[in-house]
Amino acid sequence: MKKAFLALLVLLGLASAQTQVRISGWGGTDIAIVSGLLKEVVQPKLDKEGIRVVYEPIEGDYTQWLFNALSAGTAPDLFYVDVFWSESLFATGRVAPLDPYFSKGEIAEFLPNLIQAFTYKGKLYGIPKDFNTLALQYNTDLFDEAKVAYPNQQDTWETFEAKLRQIQAKLKDVAGLCVVPDFARFGAFAFATGWKPFDEKGRTVLDQNFRRAFEWYTGLVKRGAARVAQDLGEGWTGGCLGSEKAATALEGAWIAGFLRDKAPNLPYRTTFLPLDPVTKKRGNFIFTVSWSLNAASKNKEAAVKVLKALTSPEAQQWVLERGLAIPSRKALANNPYFQRPGKEPELNRVVFQGSLGQGGYVYPFKFLSYGGDWMRPINEALQAVMTGQKGVDQALKEAQAALDRLMRK
Amino acid sequence: MSPREAARRRWARVAWIYGLLLTFGVFFVGPFLMGFLASLKPDPLEWPFTLRFAQVSPKNWAAAWRLGRAGSGDPWLGGMRPGREVVLEVAYFWPEDTPPPLEAAVPRRRPGAGMGAVFETPYAADHVRLLGPELVEKAPARLGEKEGYAYRFRLRVVYPGEGPFLERVPLDLEAPRGALYLGATLDPTRFERRGRVASWDNVVPGFVGYVFHNYVRAFREARSLETGESLFLRWTLNSFFLAAVKVITTLVFASMAGYALARLRFPGRQALFLFMLFSMMVPGQVTFISNYLVLKDGIFGLSKLFGVETLLNTYTGLILSGLVGAGAVFIMRQFFESIPREVEEAALIDGATPWQTLFRIVLPMSTPALGAVAILTFQGTWNEFFWPFVVLTSPREIYTLPLGLLSFRNAYGQVGDWGLILAGGFFSMVPVLVLFAVFQRYFVEGVSVGALKE
Amino acid sequence: MRIKARTLEALYALLLLLPFLFTLTVFFLYAFVRALYFSFTDYDLFNPPRFVGLGNYLTLFRDPLFLTALSHTLAYSFVVTALQTALALLVAMALNRPLKGITFFRTLYYLPSVVSTAAASLLLLWLFQRTGLVNQALSLLLGHLPHLGAFALLFLAFQTAQVLWERRRGLTVPFFDPALALFSVPLALLAAWGLGAAGILEPWEVRVEIPWLPTTARFLGIPYPLWAIILMNTYTTIPTLMVLFLAGLKGIPRTLYEAAALDGATPWVMFTRITLPLLRPVLFLVITLGLIGTLQLFDQVLFVGGSGGAPLEATITLAYYVYGNVFPSGATPRVGLASAAALFLAGLTLLIVLLQRRFGVSERGWSA
Repeated sequence: MKKAFLALLVLLGLASAQTQVRISGWGGTDIAIVSGLLKEVVQPKLDKEGIRVVYEPIEGDYTQWLFNALSAGTAPDLFYVDVFWSESLFATGRVAPLDPYFSKGEIAEFLPNLIQAFTYKGKLYGIPKDFNTLALQYNTDLFDEAKVAYPNQQDTWETFEAKLRQIQAKLKDVAGLCVVPDFARFGAFAFATGWKPFDEKGRTVLDQNFRRAFEWYTGLVKRGAARVAQDLGEGWTGGCLGSEKAATALEGAWIAGFLRDKAPNLPYRTTFLPLDPVTKKRGNFIFTVSWSLNAASKNKEAAVKVLKALTSPEAQQWVLERGLAIPSRKALANNPYFQRPGKEPELNRVVFQGSLGQGGYVYPFKFLSYGGDWMRPINEALQAVMTGQKGVDQALKEAQAALDRLMRK
Repeated sequence: MSPREAARRRWARVAWIYGLLLTFGVFFVGPFLMGFLASLKPDPLEWPFTLRFAQVSPKNWAAAWRLGRAGSGDPWLGGMRPGREVVLEVAYFWPEDTPPPLEAAVPRRRPGAGMGAVFETPYAADHVRLLGPELVEKAPARLGEKEGYAYRFRLRVVYPGEGPFLERVPLDLEAPRGALYLGATLDPTRFERRGRVASWDNVVPGFVGYVFHNYVRAFREARSLETGESLFLRWTLNSFFLAAVKVITTLVFASMAGYALARLRFPGRQALFLFMLFSMMVPGQVTFISNYLVLKDGIFGLSKLFGVETLLNTYTGLILSGLVGAGAVFIMRQFFESIPREVEEAALIDGATPWQTLFRIVLPMSTPALGAVAILTFQGTWNEFFWPFVVLTSPREIYTLPLGLLSFRNAYGQVGDWGLILAGGFFSMVPVLVLFAVFQRYFVEGVSVGALKE
Repeated sequence: MRIKARTLEALYALLLLLPFLFTLTVFFLYAFVRALYFSFTDYDLFNPPRFVGLGNYLTLFRDPLFLTALSHTLAYSFVVTALQTALALLVAMALNRPLKGITFFRTLYYLPSVVSTAAASLLLLWLFQRTGLVNQALSLLLGHLPHLGAFALLFLAFQTAQVLWERRRGLTVPFFDPALALFSVPLALLAAWGLGAAGILEPWEVRVEIPWLPTTARFLGIPYPLWAIILMNTYTTIPTLMVLFLAGLKGIPRTLYEAAALDGATPWVMFTRITLPLLRPVLFLVITLGLIGTLQLFDQVLFVGGSGGAPLEATITLAYYVYGNVFPSGATPRVGLASAAALFLAGLTLLIVLLQRRFGVSERGWSA
């Protein structure tokens, strides 16, 4: 009798007090991560509060879906926001600022670089769920075979390039590095010189520092240290590493999943990007994704509780231990996972530290609200110089002109 | 010219024409055939392109069959069950007198891309034991200039005790530099680390699992998260369903509209006809924005009467927005115009309504046009991409086949797994090829009837 | 009474037309008018449209991406229409003979047209990779140029020998007599193969590595990835058009050709004076449908783009430009701009079809 009464009470309680919070992110491998996280960490904690999380992953073009769900008023309470297009979304006013719900102390527990990335006009619009930076992966087999010292974190552009040249000279059919005409890789080197994507007035100036990095990067091929990825039949540096066409790659932690498929036995290690010989600094990008709150959400309080649970230390610990993503909390820097032996923990450690002091000049991978339009002129310049269609002077002049046109618009 | 000479000329000409036809045939079928063969390879982009590769060698077929049967009793799809044991032999050339040190391991391997990375399947490494490599034979051998020995090793994979069914058991075999792989019971899937590591994705593949490796993966890895059913099957059924519905609505409504335009007098008939022609010329990109918004609001809010908030991501929306195409109406109208009026006049005099005349008299004699419209509509819907792509965005289970192929392509293009992508493409061709084989005459003739009845 | 019958008929017409009118009005007329309205506004799906006059149209022509898309669309449309029409006509004429087994070949050739664009695009992605079949076939061909050269020389030698022999017997035979060539070709093939097998002719080391997809480089002013799409689409449309031509060719009476042959007309004269003029209605249809279809290229751009494929700048078309502005990746929708581009595309289609009809092939038979 008592039992039945209790059950009835629980049922009633569920019916009356349970709040539903809908969350969405993109598909792919994220589905496994989020559903696992919800089942094992988040939901048990929220059951007591009477909150039920409904997870709706989106396959297909996520940005299309999100913009359109927000405009149609059918968007969920919490959703992923990639920093790359975050500003154009925050500018619509459909995302709620999180400052009222988080204390300064709570925010300070996250890596400041990441918090900065989701701050728009002085307000915080998202809590970073994980992130990535660039690191240098190298195939130890190839370095052993060519009897060349492994790249290390003291390497400058010059010493690193010397190693690549040796590789290419000794192993005829292997490139030192395969380069791509893409700002998403080259940018890290431009940042190392102290160059900033936007000056105080919000304009882009391709100055002497930029030019130094540009000349070094585009000249790698001519000086016998690298080949263009396209010429090796690959689209990205990770592809060259995986197919053993190049001895090194410049990628983030995402390369681990690819190598698991493509070359499960490839022995690789990871270190930091080389230093600019002049400034003795490195540069890096932060690629990051946040959980953000729908401004039209009907139960913001509950949604914020879910948000906090999703980014709690326990949740991030769970994700990290499985090697699924790199957590955004400062406290996890000394996590034992990073000290585990093996190629993937090392990769993840270097990528994690890339966002800290070791990273040097680090900028989030976003370009105000210009998005890909901003990168296009620079990518075209890289492409034109690397394929020998144009000289450095002409290419940079045209890129500057295109950027000026874009910013006037 | 003697009659014998003339006959010789005629035969020569016929021979040339058949030769030409065969050449065309190679051109039209060749790329598909080559693509299909490539889809069997672990690396469809190997250079040079060979027609002799491991997956078409009968030796490997037999071995895959045997290993599959030994592993699970299923010679087709293989796998491994507890209490079973499989044996694999490998031969290496090694110049020295002592056997080369080989290192064998069953790796913990899991896909890094696509849905394969999402599903948790048991790792073979946690359940099976690897015995060996154990030397079974040593014989002097020459390889080109080099003198040395051929060493044959035996590896045994044992699955003791109890445990789950294993879909695949991968195996890595690392040889020192200088050892040359000579052959194995089953040829490895690929060589890694500049030829030093021979790697098998599955040592218990079974015949289908080995030859149609990429197809089995495409089928197994494209699965729904919710229900676990195969997405390829789901997408195919979706496409069939939509095509069938659209064929029916088009046949009925295009006949009705075509008949009215061809036979009935009403104000604005000519204007309507011209407007229809105009609408056929306007690209779908002009109208899709508004149509998208109309469906989003559930056709001016009408769907809310039925408790449906939006018609996006629904088949109702897709079907309602494409009830009947102007092209089909056009074909039907042209066909009805070509029918002599006398046929209907008798019926009209008997007091039949236009409705009855159409359905009782005119339509039964319009089978060629109806057939053409049906085939054209079916093919059009089956291939249609743009509009479903806009309307159907999530979840993946509601995709049509072309949309599914795109998501498949994007999931695996990232890691450059072209074998899997090609396999997906050919998978999707199967149903329509079967249909084509059965109705080929109608397919080929439908096009000409449809277009030339003017 | 009579008026009533008329009204009744009109009412029936309305009834019969109702479903069609519904689609035509809601999903075409309304949509068209709305697109027109949007094209004069700034609209991002979030806030109500704001009137900006002709601003969108002006922006279009200052946007380099739009101009690229426009040039791609035009180039693609003209090249594909020309190629597919000419080749389909060629194949159709080869097939237009009362031979045994011709239906079999017709069905066989139809295969590429049955396959959906999506599946064909996946095949394309593989065919045109750097080590894909196209580059491999080109390498093979160029590498065996010595053999091909030997084959051509041997063929000429055998043919000359045979012709001379026949002429000495007092028979007048043209140099390329098909009956004699029937012997020369296999003989020359065999001999060329023999030379290769005996090691006298060595294949050259040729490795064609055209990066068809991941490039913005151009050939004859058209980017390589677009060439790949052009070739693939021509290939998959030829069969459909071939069937149309075949139906048209069936309608030309044989007696015309026979009469012309009696007058001593050459095949070329017969083609230009009989086949082409009588085929005009079909030709008009094929060209018009080809132009309209090719101006709307979208699917392949999406499939061929993306990871492992081609950069957007090398393949973007107007249709894709429209879509990309309504649903841009990571930016607010630019519906106004997209509508303007879409209407521009519609106007362009109309203009090209009208120009084609006026100055190219028109539907009327003999009037040219």
